[in-house]
Amino acid sequence: MVVLGIESSAHTFGVGVSENGKILSNEKVMYPIGAGGIIPAKAADFHAENANQIIKSALAKAGLTMGDITGVGYTRGPGLGPCLRIGQLTAKTIAAKYSIPIMPVNHALGHIEVARLAVGFKDPIVLYVSGGNSQILGFTEEKFKHYHIYGETFDIGIGNMLDSFAREAKLNPAWGSSVAKLAENGKYFDMPYTVKGMDFTFTGLLTNAVKCLADHDPKDVAFSLQETGFAMVCEAAERALLLTKKREILLSGGVAQSKRLSEMMNLIAKAHSFRMYNAPNEYNADNGAMIAVVAEKMLDAGMQKPIEKCDINQKYRVDSAEVRW
Amino acid sequence: MVTGKISEGAEAVIYETEVLDIPAVVKDRIKKEYRIAKLDDEIRRARTKKEARILALASSKGVNVPRVLLVEEHRLYLTKLDGGTLNVLKPSKKAFGDAGRMLAKLHNINVSHGDYTPANLLLDKSGRLWIIDFGLAEITNSVEEKALDILLMKRSVGKAEYRDFAEAYAKGSDRSEGILERLGEIERRGRYQTRTLLTG
Ligand SMILES: Nc1ncnc2c1ncn2[C@@H]1O[C@H](COP(=O)(O)OP(=O)(O)O)[C@@H](O)[C@H]1O
Ligand SMILES: [Mg+2]
Repeated sequence: MVVLGIESSAHTFGVGVSENGKILSNEKVMYPIGAGGIIPAKAADFHAENANQIIKSALAKAGLTMGDITGVGYTRGPGLGPCLRIGQLTAKTIAAKYSIPIMPVNHALGHIEVARLAVGFKDPIVLYVSGGNSQILGFTEEKFKHYHIYGETFDIGIGNMLDSFAREAKLNPAWGSSVAKLAENGKYFDMPYTVKGMDFTFTGLLTNAVKCLADHDPKDVAFSLQETGFAMVCEAAERALLLTKKREILLSGGVAQSKRLSEMMNLIAKAHSFRMYNAPNEYNADNGAMIAVVAEKMLDAGMQKPIEKCDINQKYRVDSAEVRW
Repeated sequence: MVTGKISEGAEAVIYETEVLDIPAVVKDRIKKEYRIAKLDDEIRRARTKKEARILALASSKGVNVPRVLLVEEHRLYLTKLDGGTLNVLKPSKKAFGDAGRMLAKLHNINVSHGDYTPANLLLDKSGRLWIIDFGLAEITNSVEEKALDILLMKRSVGKAEYRDFAEAYAKGSDRSEGILERLGEIERRGRYQTRTLLTG
């Protein structure tokens, strides 16, 4: 099997190729985000303009042509409607033209599974941290095999919290990484810390941090915000591990690119002798290869969809995505 | 005299000991290397203090909880319970009915638990159920906080267990209607926020 995967849920248009679980290529372009954030319709136009070129280069890098492709996957959701639409239409066009099976893929499942399969974890607790989502997940077989949500944010995702703070602090629109840079050499002061069982909230923390910008050194605010927010999700994940008795931790999603968060999860793993894995940044950032990898698993498990049923779902939750493999 | 470690939770290590000849445990909220020292110390102190206070309150109102024997900065000495927690024991369904009844009793005295999962319910050798681990508990009459206790249990157990739990809770609670209604609302709140500037 050789499967092409297309990711277009937000600012990235990515295409990857996987052959029997091995990633052959992973190409992408990113819609340039200004201070105003992402404008969905403009990002969608950008994706449409770049689609052909990125597909071509992904095939070239893999040393293949379209005729070699035996299946195509695309991100069904969650994400921004206009952006998702471009990936969906591109995949449908390819599937129809080459008469190959098509698989709609959950975006979060892409991030998680590309990492889990790479490291070979059987039954991890996943800390999935992205822009709009922050969740503690683990497999369950109840009804069908899927990732059960043990805990999650009750308001905004941790990535969005960092983004919003970065905007208020007039940082470059490079999201979490510019907050991390500002936080270097910062000193800690108290911030609201809200964990309820395995759930957490971030708006109180964000509001407080923005307010503190007026009368504190910005680097101390950035540092304290980051330390507090990361400690919250780490604690929730630790609770889920002890509750479920699972012994593997997977850190995944865009915010998993944070060195500090990765270090913190590693310390938790060490303290309990758990195994911990965080994929290379290439797979934590949005990318097409993860969609190809999951689409290939779906194809192998007989989960292709009739083309007319291939929709998008902006709120496609990871706990409704079947993991039949 | 503190002897061996008998258990470990997400926050604490539990050692066996005796206080004035009473079999006891020390719940030691250990330092977490992943948190920076100041935050870590703050959390451990605040939760130890809160747990002691709320355990004393629950105890005095006849809820099945261990008694507090001594309080230190990061440590509690509690009466020792002989048994295991529900996430490990995989107990009979009766235990989940008891769990519902006991949560109702706790809520009736205006305490929310904050981490009401099978990991914090201990079944002793005589079949009696005990609530432990009150570091995230609150003295509150908030319907939301109480509904969140139920939500957490719901997400941590299977369907059949939850059914028994919820039924017993509804029977025992003074305000079950309002609380269960709020639970439905919380579940309906779309928690997924559209990603604006997303990082992955
Ligand atoms: N009073 C007690 N008697 C016997 N065992 C206890 C007692 N309190 C706690 N334990 C054991 O220690 C474990 C951790 O305690 P807990 O209070 O839940 O701490 P944590 O906050 O770390 O979860 C429990 O799961 C239980 O097995
Ligand atoms: Mg506990």
